[in-house]
Amino acid sequence: MHCAIVLESLHSPSLSLSLSLSLSLSLSLFMTVKWLMHWQPNPGATLNSQILAEACACAEGLGGAKDGRWRTAMTFYRPMPRDSSAPPADVPRDFLGLALHDRPDTYFFILRAHRLVLHADASIQAIMEKLQSYKARVVFNFEGFQYKLGDFRLRVGKCVPSMAETLRGIMMEVEYLPLSSIEKSRQILEEFFDIWQEALAKKSLPGHFIHIESNFADYGLQDHYTSQHTAVQYATCMAQLMAAVRS
Amino acid sequence: MECVVQGIIETQHVEALETLLQGLCGAPKERVRVHELCLKSGPNLGVVPSEVRLLCDLALPTPTWTVRHVGGAVRGAAAEQICVQVRQVTESKASNNVLRFFYALGYKLDHELLKVGFAFRLQRGAQITVTVTSAYKMPKLHSTDEAVLITPSIQLVEITAPAAADNYNEVVSAVTSLCEHLAPLLHLSKPGVSTGIVPTAAAAAASLMLNSGGKTL
Repeated sequence: MHCAIVLESLHSPSLSLSLSLSLSLSLSLFMTVKWLMHWQPNPGATLNSQILAEACACAEGLGGAKDGRWRTAMTFYRPMPRDSSAPPADVPRDFLGLALHDRPDTYFFILRAHRLVLHADASIQAIMEKLQSYKARVVFNFEGFQYKLGDFRLRVGKCVPSMAETLRGIMMEVEYLPLSSIEKSRQILEEFFDIWQEALAKKSLPGHFIHIESNFADYGLQDHYTSQHTAVQYATCMAQLMAAVRS
Repeated sequence: MECVVQGIIETQHVEALETLLQGLCGAPKERVRVHELCLKSGPNLGVVPSEVRLLCDLALPTPTWTVRHVGGAVRGAAAEQICVQVRQVTESKASNNVLRFFYALGYKLDHELLKVGFAFRLQRGAQITVTVTSAYKMPKLHSTDEAVLITPSIQLVEITAPAAADNYNEVVSAVTSLCEHLAPLLHLSKPGVSTGIVPTAAAAAASLMLNSGGKTL
């Protein structure tokens, strides 16, 4: 399999060098493709931190080298009504703000109902605060460890409210570093996902990771991967995690 | 935070002002072509009514959008004594769907303008930007190509300089000093304080153009 070959090629020093060169170049010019996956517990099963530990062990078992920690913060914004009146009916009940771990100077707003993702400087948060029309209500942190694994970078983490330790979900980012075309990287990411699922299945955990395809075209996003694609995936992932909690 | 003053100048004296600024600045002027949209919050949205400006820079090969929020001016006895306004300003670059974003949040278009002109950036005790623009209105929504000049004989001059809480006195001094330098051509004051044109403008402009050989340096 192509994917297996890529994983094995890690042991070649010359390839590792070219990989690191191409990585630094790619990070400076464009985003490479990511898939976000979330943990779907089996019916009746509950979330626990042991699952996260097993997923991390799985990443290391596949040859992943731990490469630091990461954290992405997602904020729910809600309208602030004037006086004691209800907010206007034609405004969104909420929308999401996102600070991505690999884009510290930027910020994203996602309105899922309007299929809209806004990309702005981090200072847009201060503007929202000064406008006093929407308030940041709840913040969820996605945080964990990241691993280097050949042409891939894995980030395995938990979703927890910023003011509590309640585990709301487990998720992972898989980044395929050589490509920024979603379509061209699809097959290799699917193959990687198969290998990942196979490795994790050996641990007999009560659930599995799911990748939900976001419809990027609805948001006006093209095949060339950008941070906005990641923001849309986080919104999709959050919706799935909340649905899982409700069910 | 920024320090700001504004004034007006007759279009016939703009070339003299440009000559003067060119001499002070040393660097070439920058072209200004900005589509400015002022949005206001819809009824019942927000603790207080709010206003935000979206600026689309049309002078660049690819238009870029900036969200700008202008907060209240610094108040107090000291602030009353100076002829420069110090105010809170927050800006953020944004993607080109920012207008749709604010519409979705319940903001409405209050008015829009096209500002065309030039700007000089000077380093005179602070990083100062002098912008000279003509304002255009649009007969149809967002129709910048059909924009119509509002006041053909008058242009707006604005001087701004970024400042911080610990240095705004120095920045105010730098801006005041520049205002004094430009005083023969135009009078600059806090935004909203109408001062009109200055009687010495014609003579000052003629002198400037004579000294520069009638050409922009």
